[in-house]
Amino acid sequence: MDVPRDWLSSMGDIAKFSGRVIAEVFEGRAFHFFGETLRQAGILILGSAIVIWGLAFIVGLTCGIEGAYFNRAVGAPAYAGVFSAWCDLREAMPYAFGYMMSAKVGTGLVAEIGAMRISDEIDALEVMGISSLTFLCTTRLLAAWMVLPFMYIAAVGAGFFASYLAVVQQIGEVSSGGFFLIFWMFQNPPDLLYSTIKGMAMATVIVLVGCYYGYTASGGPVGVGTATAKSMVLNTVLVHLVGMLGTQIFWGTNPRAPIGG
Amino acid sequence: MTDDDRRDDQFEQPPEPTRRAMTDEPHEDIPSNIHDQTREGQHPYQWHEGVNREHGSTDAVEFIDVKKSFGRNTVLNGLNFGIPEGQISMIIGPSGTGKSVCIKHMVGLLYPDEGDVLVHGESVPSMTDDQLFDMRKKFGVLFQDGALFGSMNVYDNTAFPLRQHTDKGEDEIEEIVSRRLREVGLSGAIDKMPNELSGGMRKRAGFARALVLDPHIVLFDEPDSGLDPVRTALLCELIQEVHAENGGAYVVITHDIMSARRVADYLAVLWKGRIVESGPASELFNSPNQFVRQFLSGEARGPLGME
Repeated sequence: MDVPRDWLSSMGDIAKFSGRVIAEVFEGRAFHFFGETLRQAGILILGSAIVIWGLAFIVGLTCGIEGAYFNRAVGAPAYAGVFSAWCDLREAMPYAFGYMMSAKVGTGLVAEIGAMRISDEIDALEVMGISSLTFLCTTRLLAAWMVLPFMYIAAVGAGFFASYLAVVQQIGEVSSGGFFLIFWMFQNPPDLLYSTIKGMAMATVIVLVGCYYGYTASGGPVGVGTATAKSMVLNTVLVHLVGMLGTQIFWGTNPRAPIGG
Repeated sequence: MTDDDRRDDQFEQPPEPTRRAMTDEPHEDIPSNIHDQTREGQHPYQWHEGVNREHGSTDAVEFIDVKKSFGRNTVLNGLNFGIPEGQISMIIGPSGTGKSVCIKHMVGLLYPDEGDVLVHGESVPSMTDDQLFDMRKKFGVLFQDGALFGSMNVYDNTAFPLRQHTDKGEDEIEEIVSRRLREVGLSGAIDKMPNELSGGMRKRAGFARALVLDPHIVLFDEPDSGLDPVRTALLCELIQEVHAENGGAYVVITHDIMSARRVADYLAVLWKGRIVESGPASELFNSPNQFVRQFLSGEARGPLGME
């Protein structure tokens, strides 16, 4: 019974920690360290944008190829755009974004903040009269919220572009105009909003989990390694949980598809 | 276990002479019963007279019956002493007796389970977060490894407290920072990152950073650990010089007796989470207490054993 109890208690700790960090963002505490917030935003853009867009592009390409061949198989090659519109926007992009965020940003946060914890840098911040939680975690969450919506929408764009390349340029069984007719018919602006909400929910969870495991790391370099591994496992699970809940809530009862009148 | 395993085991065992030295056979020079004479069946605090000799100053920091446990491990067990204003105090004691824990109580990084810690007469455990952050501005702390921020170079590390807590312009900050870095002999390393510095340089940079806000109380957590004797002596000299210039209460944690002889105005001997004896250094070095005598002369024989 010890293991489930440990899980429950650490879930409680993470929830409490996350609550504090989110509350601090809304209290505006991160603005005391706005320079640090901007620095973190810069790190996110310079360090993660290219890999996230790259993965989104590859996933979009795959989605396009699969969709084109599947639609040819059922005798409706002109409808390949359905696949791109749905697969890319609703599922593939949020997951690609979530995976890359967990792998690159989440683990990076644990390693960075955890290393600061074990080398007394967090204590040093505290004794300088600076709230380490605000300085390290709240600024990072605010930076993520400032930067990631744009990065996410750009990633969706990269995915769409890759699907277009695959369907129209590579396989070429539908004209550009025909592709876009179906493509735009099967999505509208609220879908993009829902998709972005999914991605941002994932990003928030990942940043908070990363900050939590880093901030509470103990036991030397090995402890930081263990915490990094734990955060990756939890983040992977949570990304799928958010993905599933998002699909259920946004499209579960209403597929928002112009089929069957 | 298979035969093969057994054979491997034999290969891995050290050769015979080494093994003998590792077993608990008594060393030739020390009679086998020496530790038994001093330790077995005795009260753990029989050497703790707890004498607080007069230091002729007010207390900057006071510990009142402080108790602190981590799980079942009791680290501080009724700690009672004061850090005198305007002097260099040293808390010395064997490894693992709660010296670092003691420092963390002064700045509110840890709270006592029982008892109270007063800084300039104000109780640290009963402060709100904002009061605590304010109170900490009185302190400069030098951590064991310097605790420099890995993402900033030496200059930015040293300037960090000034940028966060003052409205000074960059010109003024540069003046203060370069003066402090010159004092600790790091003028030539201002643009180096912490991972490019030696252990001694990191400590000196940490020292400069601890001093930029002109703190009233400066805490040093084992400034001599990992330094060679000459560098330790130089660092001690630096501590004295800076104290002579700035004043205030300096607290140095160490288990190095040489540093204690060189630097300390006031000594507190800590063992098993309680003060054995504290007072002006000159008096403590002549203390009749057996534990204090043993520790300050660094002898193997006496109340302190290997346990």
